Amino acid sequence: MDVIVDNFDLFAQGWLRTVQICFYALLGALPLGILLAAARVSPVPFLRSLGGTWVTIFMSCPLTVVLFFMAFGLPEIGIKGSYFWFGTIGLALYSASFVCEALRSGINAVPAGQAEAARSIGLSFMRSLNLVILPQALRSSLPPMTNAIIYLIKNSAIVGAFGVGQDLFAVADTLTAARGLSALPVLTGVIAGYLLLVLPIGRILSLIETKVAILR
Amino acid sequence: MFSKGAEPADTPTVGVGPRVAEKAVAGPIVRLSGVNKHFGSLHVLKEIDLDIAEGEVVVIIGPSGSGKSTLCRAINRLETIDSGSIELGGSPVPVEGNRLAAHRADVGMVFQSFNLFAHKTVLENVTLGPIHVRKCSPAKARAQAMELLERVGVGAQATKLPAQLSGGQQQRVAIARSLAMNPRVLLFDEPTSALDPEMVNEVLDVMSALAQDGMTMVVVTHEMGFAKRAGDRVVFMADGAIVEQASPTEFFDNPQTDRARDFLSKILVH
Amino acid sequence: MKTQRLTISMIVLGALALTGCGGTTAAANKVEKQTFAAGTTMERLATAGTIRIGTKFDQPGYGLKGLSGKPEGFDVEIGKIIAGKLGIPEDKIQWVETPSKVREESIIQNKVDIITATYVITDERRKRVSFGGPYYLAGSDLMVKASDSAISGPESFKDAKLKVCGGIGSIDGDKIKPYLADPTNQMVEFDVLSKCEDALRTGQVDAMTAGNSILDGMAASSKGTYKVIGKPFFVQPYGVGMAKGDIKFCEFVNKSLKEAAADGSYERAWKETAGKGLETVAKLPEPAPCS
Repeated sequence: MDVIVDNFDLFAQGWLRTVQICFYALLGALPLGILLAAARVSPVPFLRSLGGTWVTIFMSCPLTVVLFFMAFGLPEIGIKGSYFWFGTIGLALYSASFVCEALRSGINAVPAGQAEAARSIGLSFMRSLNLVILPQALRSSLPPMTNAIIYLIKNSAIVGAFGVGQDLFAVADTLTAARGLSALPVLTGVIAGYLLLVLPIGRILSLIETKVAILR
Repeated sequence: MFSKGAEPADTPTVGVGPRVAEKAVAGPIVRLSGVNKHFGSLHVLKEIDLDIAEGEVVVIIGPSGSGKSTLCRAINRLETIDSGSIELGGSPVPVEGNRLAAHRADVGMVFQSFNLFAHKTVLENVTLGPIHVRKCSPAKARAQAMELLERVGVGAQATKLPAQLSGGQQQRVAIARSLAMNPRVLLFDEPTSALDPEMVNEVLDVMSALAQDGMTMVVVTHEMGFAKRAGDRVVFMADGAIVEQASPTEFFDNPQTDRARDFLSKILVH
Repeated sequence: MKTQRLTISMIVLGALALTGCGGTTAAANKVEKQTFAAGTTMERLATAGTIRIGTKFDQPGYGLKGLSGKPEGFDVEIGKIIAGKLGIPEDKIQWVETPSKVREESIIQNKVDIITATYVITDERRKRVSFGGPYYLAGSDLMVKASDSAISGPESFKDAKLKVCGGIGSIDGDKIKPYLADPTNQMVEFDVLSKCEDALRTGQVDAMTAGNSILDGMAASSKGTYKVIGKPFFVQPYGVGMAKGDIKFCEFVNKSLKEAAADGSYERAWKETAGKGLETVAKLPEPAPCS
């Protein structure tokens, strides 16, 4: 307990850093995931295969490989940038495919008649997606979406290892390796930090879930 | 207002109802010529030729699997066709994109399973199309929607979600939703087949009133009473082809083909 | 015929000796049979005839496991010297990989008897383990591209545009942070230093920090691509880690190191490992009191 109290500011900084990574990654992954899902269910074959290819690549590629590409591949071909953005964008690109699949499962759960009715009153594909399909799909994809978001949060620890550092997990390294503190209390603090992030989000999402539960 | 035998002067003048048209207009509003469609090896529509005049009520009947639903849905291009042509008001149905959307806005569709937007209130179901497709102001769309909901008898349910309504009420909302688009023709794909028996008539009454008002309608149904009462023409289909068509009186009193006689004997016995 | 065959084998042997293959030539350490007081760690290890030494397997010059399959480097040689003083020959040493993160735990959980793994003595670590030595004073230093003129020492990082790379959880990284105007954006951390070198090469960072001898080695093998600034901003004494409170063993290690310095085996160990090709010659520092 002393370890956590004594190094509270370091834990707090690390926590904030992790929150930053997660926030920006989510900010990218959500809209991108929605676009990908839209592409995957669109009537345009080119968009469908584009979305499918994207998801296949990023779902079969380990996150570390994606991040390695971002942190070391891009500078190699002359693209310079901060590791924070390399890592965060890498995480966003990777997580978007999971957001997409969560949404797509939701879209598939919306009865086909809803789309037919939307088209029948003259709504375009994008409009029927926006106004009819997605609002219903979002509700049924909340549970898999919650998982995707929680995975994103946990994966932020991997982003930390690609030059970003100073995130919650890296705090453990600093305290144990550089400052020689015992691993157990340090890791307890780190776990508490992640719980502090994951639990409220899980709670909020399950609240939303019950709020918007759809009548059929 | 919708009762049978109302004088033409009594038809609504709010401008959101069906386009009331005189029945004697040159040229059909819907024309299908040489339409073919296959589902895999199954030939579901065979060389269909069908003209529907403005204001005409065409009732399509036939045994299940005869292709009548597919035919109905093809007019709205919810089903694609392999060959032949479908025209609305003299111009072919667009294949895709915004022009297809515009075509669909002009052709109302009422489904067997209602297909009301489950996450929207009854009122929102009816205003969605006018606001987003017809670009009505929300206030105007709401006023029109309320008018239509009152006319189909579900005005009191406007703020409820579809799942809170009975099947009959839902189907009447679905009809109001179609009417709100001010369509040139209204398609009904077995509108009462999913309803409990006691609710069938409330829907058929609304449909009969519409027919009376001069709405152009294509109705796929098993309700022979409705065909007799409200239909201008009965089209009998079997195995993907139009076997016979005639006025309801002629068709029911004096069917010309064995298939039709056989079909009628099966459904009219009880 | 007989003499000819003998000559050939002699030539082969000679060639091997010339190329210095195997890197074990430094191990001319004497194996001394000694007797120790009963109940001491020395007695236990000497009787067992084997010792478990923790070292790094990925630290060039200090502890690097190469193709030979055995770790090589200055830390390894120090381990061999201590083993030798216990009467344990090289081939009876069990080498255990101990990366920075697991060193205290490895000792506390009795997975190793001693650790020589660029193990910096700190008060914080002293709470949990004891240290013999130090056997070397390293310093946290900076390495930059040879053409760089923007960085002259840690103070240069007042310019918030300059970035520095260090190992995650490394002392060097921890100690450079106070010099940084904007640590969040200026500090880049990787799990291994080779990634820092890559980042320095591609210009993603302007400098990297690590122990000076490590940087000296990297700069020397870079053939003029990099240079070390040479102004250590934090001195790091490398100690021999052992179980907390084993004062007799600690004193034995200090005595062993002193003897090795006196008979030249300490200097030879340095020159053939971390000090290879460098002008700096390691001198055994004054031992810290055992506690």
